[in-house]
This record gives sequence, structure tokens and C-alpha cells, in this order.
Amino acid sequence: MASQAASPQAEPAPRNDRPGNDKRGDDNYLRIVDVRKEFDGFVAVDDVNLSIRKGEIFALLGGSGCGKSTLLRCLAGFEKPTAGKIILDGQLMNDIAPYEQAVNMMFQSYALFPHMTVEQNVAFGPTQKKMPKAEVAQRVEEMLALVQMTKFAKRKPHQLSGGQQQRVALARSVATRPKLLLLDEPMGALDKKLRSHMQLELVNIIEKLAVTCVMVTHDQEEAMTMAHRIALMDAGRIRQVGTPDEIYEQPTSRFAAEFIGLLNVIEGTIEQDHPDFVTIRSGALPDPVFIGHGISGFEGQHVAFAVRPEKVGISKQEPVQKHNKARGTIEEIAYYGSHSVYHVRLPSGFKVMSNFANRERWASDSFTWNDEVWVSWDDNAGVVLNS
Amino acid sequence: MKWRRTLLPHSRWAVISVPYLWMLLFFAVPFLIVLKIAFSHQALAIPPYTPVLEFVDKAVMLKLNLSNFLELVRDAHYLEAYASSLKIAAISTFFCLLIGYPMAYTIARLPPTSRNIALMLVILPSWISFLIRIYAWMGILQTNGLLNKALLSIGIIDEPLRMMNTPLAAYIGIVYAYLPFMILPLYSNLVKLDLRLLEAAYDLGAKPWKAFVKITLPLSRSGIIAGCMLVMIPAVGEFVIPELLGGPDTLMIGRLLWSQFFSAGNWPMASAVAIVMLVLLLIPIIVFHRFQQRELEGRLA
Repeated sequence: MASQAASPQAEPAPRNDRPGNDKRGDDNYLRIVDVRKEFDGFVAVDDVNLSIRKGEIFALLGGSGCGKSTLLRCLAGFEKPTAGKIILDGQLMNDIAPYEQAVNMMFQSYALFPHMTVEQNVAFGPTQKKMPKAEVAQRVEEMLALVQMTKFAKRKPHQLSGGQQQRVALARSVATRPKLLLLDEPMGALDKKLRSHMQLELVNIIEKLAVTCVMVTHDQEEAMTMAHRIALMDAGRIRQVGTPDEIYEQPTSRFAAEFIGLLNVIEGTIEQDHPDFVTIRSGALPDPVFIGHGISGFEGQHVAFAVRPEKVGISKQEPVQKHNKARGTIEEIAYYGSHSVYHVRLPSGFKVMSNFANRERWASDSFTWNDEVWVSWDDNAGVVLNS
Repeated sequence: MKWRRTLLPHSRWAVISVPYLWMLLFFAVPFLIVLKIAFSHQALAIPPYTPVLEFVDKAVMLKLNLSNFLELVRDAHYLEAYASSLKIAAISTFFCLLIGYPMAYTIARLPPTSRNIALMLVILPSWISFLIRIYAWMGILQTNGLLNKALLSIGIIDEPLRMMNTPLAAYIGIVYAYLPFMILPLYSNLVKLDLRLLEAAYDLGAKPWKAFVKITLPLSRSGIIAGCMLVMIPAVGEFVIPELLGGPDTLMIGRLLWSQFFSAGNWPMASAVAIVMLVLLLIPIIVFHRFQQRELEGRLA
């Protein structure tokens, strides 16, 4: 990385695991308060409240039509919220035109100006902000060095590959040093291999600039790789906000649990509710599910127990543990290379998915179709969802 | 399979040759005939010009008479007419662009359903005979015509304006008649404009007007050039509009050509006038073609 790229007003973000968790930043740098957006009676964004820290990379994650893009467009100033407030760095943004906001967006299609060179594209923002010419040139050089596109300064966008176009789009959107950077499906136009490479690179550049960033994506993997915190959206509402591991390991709703990753969901009713353990009776399993801690619920309540396939073990011998095991036959095997997912059918007809890491080259040979196996999980492997 | 291989090149050639044959029969041959006449003398005969190629005493004689072309240069009247034609066409094109661009822009931004209706309204007048529409303008622009009556009745003017048989009327007629040819290519260009580019420009701090100048205008350049060509080229040779609306003061090369051909019966002179006009118009066409070629190559690269 070029050394002159270090930005003057921001020291590099501390290189701990998750810089966004670092409490130095202002917790309420960007505040979204009761924001609602309606289109002809259709509610696209439904009373959303969010607080985003300074320097954080925040992802709005959800399926298509969940309102994430509309919320992003509200932040960019392209759409006016029907109700509610957007406050950035203490300033109310609702009625400020997009060209007067210190908020820049990187478009999904990049929206590079086709008639301008890479250099002119990056210079567009600083020039519009009435920066002196010499300073603009210096800023452009700095930004192109940052994204390693100096060599391509005189090229037109159509002469660049997808990944290069993305770098230019990023350089253009941060060239004015915005207070807030918005990324709209940043990897949407890239192929899978380039995607994982650019995800990390993009995060590196954004953290180097210490710019606060809100991104929109439908790709859970992308959100988990890039973002410090994720807001899961559905039907215009925020369903859960948390760090990637919180969302993955402690989903608060069935929607959140099912949206991210594979999941075994066992429905049943609470049989015993004690402060230090709980059992759930389900028709799917021969024995009740045993949970090694207390939960908020009551006996007889209908709940769903969710456990991820990688937390479900598979073995030929009966596991030594007392609870949480069942016998079944392997019905399907999905081979993913790094691991295989076995679909085990229990006598009740219920299918349990279990991951098996292929640590040895032919490890996946050890189980095959119609094998009689045991599936099992720890007392604390799953979560109980009551919504 | 063999018949295919042998047949295919022939049938392909047959398809390609159709437009070439068309061009040969309806452009190249008439052009050569006019060119031939331009190099001959006027004669009292049928046809009224001397032959260029003669077969005398077992020799083929090619006599190129350059006096018609020399006359064009010598007689200031012709040069004036060429200059005046180009000027009238250029100014008319400019006004077509000035009026047509906002119209095309607005139509391109309409919702798709009303867009087609608006385009229909642009094209609709050309379903009526061109001549009738020009006669209608005579009715509007006359001293006791519709426009004067309207202006008098609201009290903007005290006595009728003289518009009919002035260059102004010719300008109005040309701009009116050629406006659709400006709007249509501009529309088809502007409707393709990616609106996200404008959003990106606003996002980066450009006010709407700045974004228009920096993004929309340069990206619609090929539409502007196409529209200007479609208006300018036929407008230079326009005869009917200056004849019917422009009066004697409106000097255009089409009128000179007409009078040489029909009044003076000087086919060779009229042909020379036509040839020079064609050459004058070829220059902008070649420039336009080069520009389009470059743009196409740029996009493919």
C-alpha cells in the first residue's frame, strides 16, 4: 500500500479485532430516529431506529424488498423520509439536498461517468466542492494510490475490469472525505472469487480512512466478513442488531436464525423450566431436548429449538452423553469440499443436518448413504426461539 | 451438408448485394447523370444539353465543360446564395436544438406510458401533407392572419406585423418542419441515459444544473450531432419553405437551382449548382461519420 495515502486528519484505526467495537468513537455519530418511508401507501421502511458509531462499518442485511436500499437512499438524501429524523454528527439531514451533504455513495453499478477518465471521475467530487486545482490533483493522486489504480489514471471506465471499476468507484466516493460512506451491494457486480478478495481489501481501505460506513447487502457472508455490526431487516423493520457472531450464535428470532446459515429447527413445548436447566418435549425426537441453562419462558409454552449443523456431531458409536442424542439413517450427503453436510432421518421422520469437517482427504468416505448413525449436540449448543 | 456449404456464400452475397444494388441504381447512377450534365453546354435540343462523350472519326472524345463551375465562382450571386443557405440552415438548426432539446429531455423523463403519447404528438403533424402545413403557416403569418389578429386583439401591437414573405417566416417554417427530426434522435439518446449517473453527480456535490452540463450534455453529444445533421442537411437544400413563406428576400440555393432548371432551362448550370451543394454537404456528413466510428470503436475497445 502506498505510504502517502495515510489521511491527515485520521490516524489509522487501531488494529484490534473489530475496530468498530472500539469505544473511542462517538456512539451516536449517525442516528436514525423513527424513520419511516412510504411509497403510495406501501411502507418500505417502518419506524427504524439505529445508532451507528463513528468509524464503524455497519451492514443493513436483508432479502430483496426488505427496505434496506430505501433506507440507504434516505441516508444519501435521494429519498426523503416520510417521518422521522436522520441525524449525522449532530446535524439534521432530512431536508438537506444530496449535493449539499457530506455523504457519498458507492453505487452497485458503480455509476462511473463513462465519458471521463479514471482521474476525472475521482476529481469530480473535490472539484464540485470548490477545492483549489492543485489540491484536487493531489487528492486524486492520493486516492488512486490508496486503491492502487495510479497506473490506470488516464483510462476510461469501459477499459477497466469489474474489480478495477470498483476501486475507482470507491476512490471517487471517498475523495471528498465524506462523513459517511454508503455502499450499495458493493460486491454485487463481481464474480465469486474476486468478491472474497475485494471484501477484505475494501474493509482495509475503509478502516485506513477511518470513515464511517453503512453498507447494504443481501449476502450474509459479505455482511459477516465486512461489517463490525449488522442490522437484519425484514419487511421494512429491523429484526436484530449485533456483531456478526452475536447474530449468528444468539439469534433472537426464528427469522434471524434462519436468515443466516443453515439451521435445524425443532419445534416443541417447554416440559421442565428450572433456573439452571430446561427441557423441551418434541415429537421429532425420542427424548426431550436438554438445555443447560435457564431461559425466559414457562412450562407448556410452544417454542422452537434451533441448533446449527456444525454443532451437531455425527458418529457410528452411541455418544457417551446422557441427553441430546438420537439415532437415524443418513439419507442425503452434500459434499462441500471443506466439509460435508449429512441429512440424517430420525425414526419420527424428522431430518437433522450435521456438518462433518473433512480434515483428512478421504474423511468423507467414513459415512455413506443409509448408514445407521448417532447425532448429538452439547447442552449449550442451541438457542430457544419463541418468536 | 454439401449443398449448404456451396449455397451459403451465394445466398449471403445475394442478401448483401440488395442494398448495394439499391444505392447503385438510385444514388450512383443518377449522380453520374447529373455530373455528366454539369460538364456539358446548354443546347437547344432534346435533351437540352450537349453530349460529354462523343464518337468521332474512330476516336472517343471526352469534352469536359468547366464553364458552369467557373460561373459559380465568378458570379457573386451564387456564392451569396450558398452562404445564405448555409446561414439559414445553421440558424434554423440552432433553434431546432434550442427548442428540441428541452422537449426531448422532458419526454424522456416522462413515465413510459405518457412517453409514447408525447412522442406520438411530435410525429402526428407529419401525417398531414407537408405542403398543407406550410399553407397553414401562410394563414397564420399573413398580415391579416391568425397571429396578427390575436396580437391585435390582446393589444400587444397597434398595427399588424409584416411577417409573411420575410426571412423570419422562412426560419419559422424550417424550424417547425424539421423539429421532429431533432427531437427523435435526441429523445432516443436521452431516454437511454443512466439516471444513476445523475444521482452519483448530485451525491458528489454537483447541483442539478452542474450535473446537466457535466454529465447529461456530454453524454447526449451523439444525439445532438445526429439531430443537427438530420435538420441541417435537408435544410440547406430547402426549396418549398423559402419559396412559399420567405418571399424574394430569402436567398437560398434551392431556389436558384429551381429557377435555372425550370425558368432558364439551363440544365447544365442547375446540375453544377446541385453538385457543389452535394459536395458542401458531404463534408459535415463525413465528419459525423468519423465521429460515430470513433465512438463505436471506443465502446468496443
